[in-house]
Amino acid sequence: MQAEETVFVVDDDEAMRSSLKWLIESMGMHVETYDSAQGFLDAYFPGRAGCLLLDVRMPGMSGLELQAYLARREQRIPVIIITGHGDVAMAVKAMKNGAVDFIEKPFDDEALIVSIRNALQYDEKQRALRSQRADLTARMSELTPREHEVMAMVTDGKSNKEIAAALGVSAKTVEVHRARVMDKMRADSLAELVRMVMIAGGEVS
Amino acid sequence: MKLPRLSIKPAVYRVLRNLPMPLIAMLIGVVVGLAVWGVLDQLQNRRVAEIFNKELSARLDLRSRESLLRFDQYMTNYAATARLLANHRRLAQYLEPLFWFPEEDVEPVVYEKFQPFWLPDFFGRNALLAPSHVLLMDTRGQVREIYQAGAAPLPTEMLADTSAWVGEGDDVHTVLARVGDRPFLVVSDRVEDASGYGMGHLVVVVPVDAAFLSAAEGGVSDDDSAVALVDADELRILASDAPQHLIIGTQLEQWKDRFVVTSQSLPEYEGSNWNMLFATFIPNSSVEAITSRVVDVVRKQRVIAALAFVVVFTLLIYLVSARLNRVLARMTRFSQRALDIQQPNFKRGGNQLLLLEDWIQHFTNLVLKAREEMSRRHEHALRETEALKAAVMEASLDAIVTLDRAGLIIDFNPMAESMLGFDPSDAIQSDFARRFLDPSEHAAFLGMLAESGRWQIDHRRPHARGELRAQRADGSQLPVEMSIVPIDIDTERVYTLYIHDVTQRKAAEREITGLARFASESPNPILRVNCEGLIVYANAASLELTRGWGTSSGRLLPTAWIDQVRSALQDGQDRELEDDQGEQVYSLLFVPIPDLDYVNIYARDITEVRRAEQESRQHQSELVHVSRLSTMGEMATGMAHELNQPLAAIVNYAKGASRRLQNGVMDPEPLVEAMRQVSSQAQRAGEIIRRLRALVGKQAPTRAVMDLNYPAREVCGFVEFETAKLDLRIEQDLVDIEIPVSIDLVQIEQVLLNLVRNALDALAERPADERRLAVFTRVNGDHAVVGVVDNGPGIPAERMEHLFDAFYTTKESGMGMGLAISQTIIEDHGGEIRAESEPGQGTLFQVRLPLADVAADVQDTTVIEQPPAAAGMS
Repeated sequence: MQAEETVFVVDDDEAMRSSLKWLIESMGMHVETYDSAQGFLDAYFPGRAGCLLLDVRMPGMSGLELQAYLARREQRIPVIIITGHGDVAMAVKAMKNGAVDFIEKPFDDEALIVSIRNALQYDEKQRALRSQRADLTARMSELTPREHEVMAMVTDGKSNKEIAAALGVSAKTVEVHRARVMDKMRADSLAELVRMVMIAGGEVS
Repeated sequence: MKLPRLSIKPAVYRVLRNLPMPLIAMLIGVVVGLAVWGVLDQLQNRRVAEIFNKELSARLDLRSRESLLRFDQYMTNYAATARLLANHRRLAQYLEPLFWFPEEDVEPVVYEKFQPFWLPDFFGRNALLAPSHVLLMDTRGQVREIYQAGAAPLPTEMLADTSAWVGEGDDVHTVLARVGDRPFLVVSDRVEDASGYGMGHLVVVVPVDAAFLSAAEGGVSDDDSAVALVDADELRILASDAPQHLIIGTQLEQWKDRFVVTSQSLPEYEGSNWNMLFATFIPNSSVEAITSRVVDVVRKQRVIAALAFVVVFTLLIYLVSARLNRVLARMTRFSQRALDIQQPNFKRGGNQLLLLEDWIQHFTNLVLKAREEMSRRHEHALRETEALKAAVMEASLDAIVTLDRAGLIIDFNPMAESMLGFDPSDAIQSDFARRFLDPSEHAAFLGMLAESGRWQIDHRRPHARGELRAQRADGSQLPVEMSIVPIDIDTERVYTLYIHDVTQRKAAEREITGLARFASESPNPILRVNCEGLIVYANAASLELTRGWGTSSGRLLPTAWIDQVRSALQDGQDRELEDDQGEQVYSLLFVPIPDLDYVNIYARDITEVRRAEQESRQHQSELVHVSRLSTMGEMATGMAHELNQPLAAIVNYAKGASRRLQNGVMDPEPLVEAMRQVSSQAQRAGEIIRRLRALVGKQAPTRAVMDLNYPAREVCGFVEFETAKLDLRIEQDLVDIEIPVSIDLVQIEQVLLNLVRNALDALAERPADERRLAVFTRVNGDHAVVGVVDNGPGIPAERMEHLFDAFYTTKESGMGMGLAISQTIIEDHGGEIRAESEPGQGTLFQVRLPLADVAADVQDTTVIEQPPAAAGMS
């Protein structure tokens, strides 16, 4: 996974693009540059690992617009905003919209490297979580409706007896359902099941 | 649709309403049938019982008589048989040799169970019951021989008085004797011997018992009827033909409830020792059976009669209801046509009679309502007409007065009151002409009255019209226009006067003549030109204008203007044109009057206005430059961004290169390329800076000598909006002489504006009522001073030394260029700018400028004595 991580740079200024590529490559990372938001969107497909360095001031689709566009499509590539002098207000807005960091031109290379590393790490974590969530969702889809109910109640902290009373079945039956849930979800313990449900429900990020 | 009955018996009515007539007919039929049946049952039964009882008793009488007759006949038979025996030859033969000595006690010869010779068997032959004893008795009554048929001997009591058995004469004597409770039939006849000697009597004794009685009745009765012999005194049964039913010895009374008993006496057989009755018993049961049969028949007939009633009633009422239905339908159609009712308002089903009643009531209501509605409409229309007339009278702007034939006032409207000062209390019946017309107009008025009656040639309504002088009650006069319309009401003619006050019209006419003088009095040129371009009229003020055109009143306009006159007349539109005659500029307004084929030309000398406008335009172009300066802030921001790009790129390349070198990447080619990029970006930055300088650095400075007070005043005007916002008035402490300085007005204004704005920003921190800001000018030796002083928070000492450095700012929105540029400008003018500040007390900025040498500069500079008006600038 590490080898595939790419730092995407979107900036309309040719000098900025190539100088950033030069700088970031000197840190040993793979860089792809695009001169416009549209150019990036044409090349990028969701699921690519990496982070996005985005200039806020661009002709056509601005950095903020691209960020909003990606957010709307649930494409959660981490975004680092590049701002010039006096664009602080815009940077703050970008941060509020979910950018992981912003850096000011001219760049402090150490700050830039830390920021990029953090973003990549964040991305990896998110991706892992997403794939785990997808996996868990797939497992959950194998559950029968009754097993879903049982799982929901179990993870709510209800005892077998309480569940049996609520569903109007015997405790023995609940026990069977519960065992089947654990089996299908491939959970070794109740604690793990609870964690799985929380991940799948988006409660853990 | 309310029936009074409805409130009393609503339930019954409701039920009746919903029942159709045929059903009611059937109900009535059934009820009547039942009633008939019930009455007949009562009357007929009683009557039948009466008749039947009468008949029955007659029949019973008959029957008992028959029984008695049969009994009598039976006994007569015995008498006959006894005679036969008594006169039989065998008895005569037997007695021939005999002779009975008269003795006291004679023992009779008894033939027990065998028949003696003298007794032939006649009884069986005559179907008579055999007697129990047959006796021969001598003439003295002593019994000599006894035939005893059974074992029982003749009761001795019977022998005690035999004389009772013998009748008078030769006839057979039949008697019913009684021994104890047992009755016997005793028949006796005289007996002679063959020689005709009377020997005595033959006596036949038959016990009257059941067998006897049944034999007597001969088995005639088919039912349980019976006959009996009854002791008349004791009413006790002595013998009966059915002793098993009628027990011997019982009282007659106790059988009366089971039998109908008829008792008859037997007088011919009495005369013995007792009274006897012959009783016939008919059992009640047989009587009742007959009765019930009769009743049954009668009842059946009654039922048939009742059914006939039902059928006839039902049929009758059904036919009536069918007829009613047709009538109802016809009436519904009629009511729909006649009264325009959409809904007949009654159901088709139900009781037709009640429906008919409903309908009639409904119809009556509708007719009443229609009548009311009509009268209401009529009244309404009447009222409306009245109201309309009243409204017309009330609201008329003309005074309306009605006069009778004699000219006396009959009626008038409120306008007449106010216009002519009518006194409502006594105007009526007063002479209109004398009271409300000028005496000199009386003849004219009378003439109009007379004229009004004549029909017009074109058959319009007759009326007369004319102007008169009216006179109010208070004597004042007014001109009026009067129209008189005669109206014939019945045979009476009245006149309606419509009087219109024309005072205002008269006044307006006078006004118009007065207005005509306006044109000649106007200070502006006013001309009237006809369609050919001839100046028909020109007022006094237009002398100069026409002179400029080389023409005058009564002559033609210049050709170019004639064309304008023609086109204005053609399209009927006003047009405004300008005539620049060099020295004078005129605005010409062409107003066509197509009706008269004239064009009025209203001219105005606008020389001064044009000149002022020109100056204003000039000043405006200068202000454009001011605004350009004031947007330098934004420009600088843009420049900064522009510069940032190459600088950032340079940093990136440099950092990237140094990283590679640190990491030991010594491949020279990319490094050289990076370095090349660094220098190229540095060049780009330099290019940007050059562009910036080109923008700011202007062409050669322009200078003009002017009063320094002027820009000071102007700047105070520029910031009026901001000062008003701060609730502040700038104090202008300006010297009252002109301070001639040679300056670029726009630049100096920019500097002062900057200083005033800074002061205003500083004052914003002060409470509103403590804010003070002053602009002053001074002449100090060979230089002029203009200054701005505020009582703001002041500038700390450590800032003072950087005050005029570029990009030094304490403001969030500022860029630190204002004072630096100001200083550059002032230094350009050969002056200096200085700041003094006492923290907490305020700040003073002074700009010193050299005084202009007016005499020396007058050749190549424009002296503006009067600064151009700056209307609309703020």
